[in-house]
Amino acid sequence: MSNGLEVVVNRDQASKMAAVNLLYRVGSKHESPERTGFAHLFEHLMFRGTERVPDFDAPVQAACGENNAYTTADYTNFYITLPRENIATALYLEADRMTGLDISPEALTAEKSVVVEEFNQRYLNQPYGDQWMLLRGEAYQKSHYRWATIGLSPDHIRAASLDEVRAFYDRFYQPSNAILSLSADIPEDEMVAMAEEWFGDISSTPAPLFVPEAEPVQSAPRRLEVERAVPADQITIALRMEHRNSRCHYLCDLLTDLMAGGESARFYQRLVKEQQIFSSTNAYITGEVDGGLFIAIGQLNPGVTIEEAEAAVWRELLLFATEPVGEKELEKVRNKFEANILFGELNVMNKAMNLSYYAMLGDMDLLNGEVAIYNSITPEEIMDFAQKFFRRDQSTTLVIRSKQ
Amino acid sequence: MRKEDIKELPKVVLPDTIDITLAERHTAGNGVPVYALDCSKQEVLRFSFVFHAGTSWQKHPFCAAATANLLSAGSPSHSAHELAEALDFYGSWYDVSVDRDAAVISFCTLLKFLPQTLALAEEILLTPTFPEEEVEIYRTKRRQRLIVERSKPDFCVRELFARRLFGSEHPYGRGYAAEVYDGLTREQIVEFYQSNYTSEGTFVVASGNVGSEALSALLRIADGLPAPSVKPTRTIPSPQSEGSMHKHFEGTVQTSVRIGRLLFPRGHEDFIGMQVVATLLGGYFGSRLIQNLREEHGYTYGAYCGVVNFDEAGYLAISTEVGGEVAEDAVRQIMWEVERLRTEPVSDEELAIVKKIIFGEMMRILDGPFGIADVTIENIQNGVTNEYTARMVQEVKAITPERVLALAQRYLAPEDLITVTLGE
Repeated sequence: MSNGLEVVVNRDQASKMAAVNLLYRVGSKHESPERTGFAHLFEHLMFRGTERVPDFDAPVQAACGENNAYTTADYTNFYITLPRENIATALYLEADRMTGLDISPEALTAEKSVVVEEFNQRYLNQPYGDQWMLLRGEAYQKSHYRWATIGLSPDHIRAASLDEVRAFYDRFYQPSNAILSLSADIPEDEMVAMAEEWFGDISSTPAPLFVPEAEPVQSAPRRLEVERAVPADQITIALRMEHRNSRCHYLCDLLTDLMAGGESARFYQRLVKEQQIFSSTNAYITGEVDGGLFIAIGQLNPGVTIEEAEAAVWRELLLFATEPVGEKELEKVRNKFEANILFGELNVMNKAMNLSYYAMLGDMDLLNGEVAIYNSITPEEIMDFAQKFFRRDQSTTLVIRSKQ
Repeated sequence: MRKEDIKELPKVVLPDTIDITLAERHTAGNGVPVYALDCSKQEVLRFSFVFHAGTSWQKHPFCAAATANLLSAGSPSHSAHELAEALDFYGSWYDVSVDRDAAVISFCTLLKFLPQTLALAEEILLTPTFPEEEVEIYRTKRRQRLIVERSKPDFCVRELFARRLFGSEHPYGRGYAAEVYDGLTREQIVEFYQSNYTSEGTFVVASGNVGSEALSALLRIADGLPAPSVKPTRTIPSPQSEGSMHKHFEGTVQTSVRIGRLLFPRGHEDFIGMQVVATLLGGYFGSRLIQNLREEHGYTYGAYCGVVNFDEAGYLAISTEVGGEVAEDAVRQIMWEVERLRTEPVSDEELAIVKKIIFGEMMRILDGPFGIADVTIENIQNGVTNEYTARMVQEVKAITPERVLALAQRYLAPEDLITVTLGE
């Protein structure tokens, strides 16, 4: 639209529901190192009402709707599902809180303590709860990915002031910094006209361009060992990846599936069942836009040493560099990608979220094009990539020892 | 800035009825019903086998979950690895869930791999061999996992609450030490399979793009379930609640709070009414508990209230995790909110919102073949057809503030509530 809002629509004839998704290009990476956790705190504040709509949830509920939001390192995402007939309610509410947010000092105080309790519940009151904070702090040095979206400490959240809240809102919650996506059984041109009707008159100040802090080149392995009151030792090995749209992303994603995508995958079959080194293992990618982490993680069986466990994981990683993956094994993970994509499309909300997400990545063709990318990856390419990527001097290892 | 003429919220349209696909009932030769929900044009199909094989049926600790989870651990022609390999290869989503009453074994597949997935399902469901070495691996893995789970406050409080509600010896409340896994044997598992994975009490639900090929294959697999040589039995005694308690849990920054009481089993006439009461109290964002504990006091990130039903009993539970130093006041606030339900009639406006929450939730669940399957399974377990779900809307609509008050007075007397807290 002329004010810079990107609008993406999809007609879904299989659903009676409408999904409205609004993505703002602001996440924890946009925060100042002194106010980490701010983007997430702000996401909570977006539900604290405007002059026109003092309680955001009430009208959503009155329209038989449901809404929620989440914050990542790269973006903040708000979504509403409701019966198709009521889609205008969702558009009204999102347009309204894009301009009219009204945060009182009392609301800020109450929300800060909610977020501090979320910090406690998710990160401190759980065994291994602080592992992601520890790992990020070690794997990244300059990048703002070095802290988790919840922030570095509850103190940063407690210190947030009303002036900072307003400045953040003015800076990032602009149409030009947002992507609106709609999925419903409504003709596309009608949906576009609706977006124009509700958002067209909002003026925009362009948000400043974000330039990520470049990570210095890593030249030696990094390692952090801590002791915690946890039931079993745990080891995590992380490697920094390239940009989300790079080939590296797809190769890493596919590798983690070969390693841990289901019971037949290598980690479970060899490290859990055959060698019985771990009671549970996993491998996945975190997926941040400017380069996330490739992660291999496992909880050790009693009696197994950290050294044995670490050696076993590296053996598996380096095997990719020396032996080509079999065609059948590769076909298996390709089938899995295809199935997951199709199962995911049964849900109207997923579709709307994907529309916004791929628009944010700047390449809508990826939405339907990723299966082809996975299918184009050959055993040779995996081997080449593994030789370059699985290097100890590029790795970060986090060991959490059980304090018994 | 915004147009000045746009000030009013758009008018809202309310659904009058909820559409749900009615299940088409077919019967296998041995009497096992197969319900077909042909409700999607997309190239996917989910089918679930539901057995009377939940934890309350087991004669030996951990046996019900072990049997369900080890169904895919080997057949006469394939090893556990080969079965896992095949399921993953065809992109099938295979899921095993075991609750107190039932074991639900579900497969979800792309239509292009339907024949292969059906063949796998047949092998897994009808000819499991439960190899000794797989049982051993399972024991070790699960014992370790249980130890890990028991280090988590939320897991412990859930176990503790069930024990205090139903009694330590009751099949719905009982828990076992991790070492008890050592006593789990292959013989127990085989015996449980033979008695509880039979034609007795079993049903099948297929949902999605259900064609005649899938239907006849499922009828054939279902027909392969033998009649039990001895009809499985279980004894569910009356629960013996053990009352409120606090448990010290080292190293927590929050206190977990569970408050609730025993209620009624599936199919009770007050079920829908109590759903409304529970939703009002803590079933949505904006509920009274959220308003009080989260929005006003900032004590917690979340607070919930829900009603759970089993075949032979049920309960209502309120749950939240709060800062340790405010736990006492949080319990007081919850009790105050319960008392308010019992003394003040809910306003028409608030009740209207709660009803819309329930409708909206139902519409969302029913938006897609997997959700429709879940609702259908629950309806069959409750002895009703999917017409019940459509009727439910009318019943919810008819509930008045007086009814809510009467239900709260009847079921939420403070002396009937058990409070369990866990933390430092």
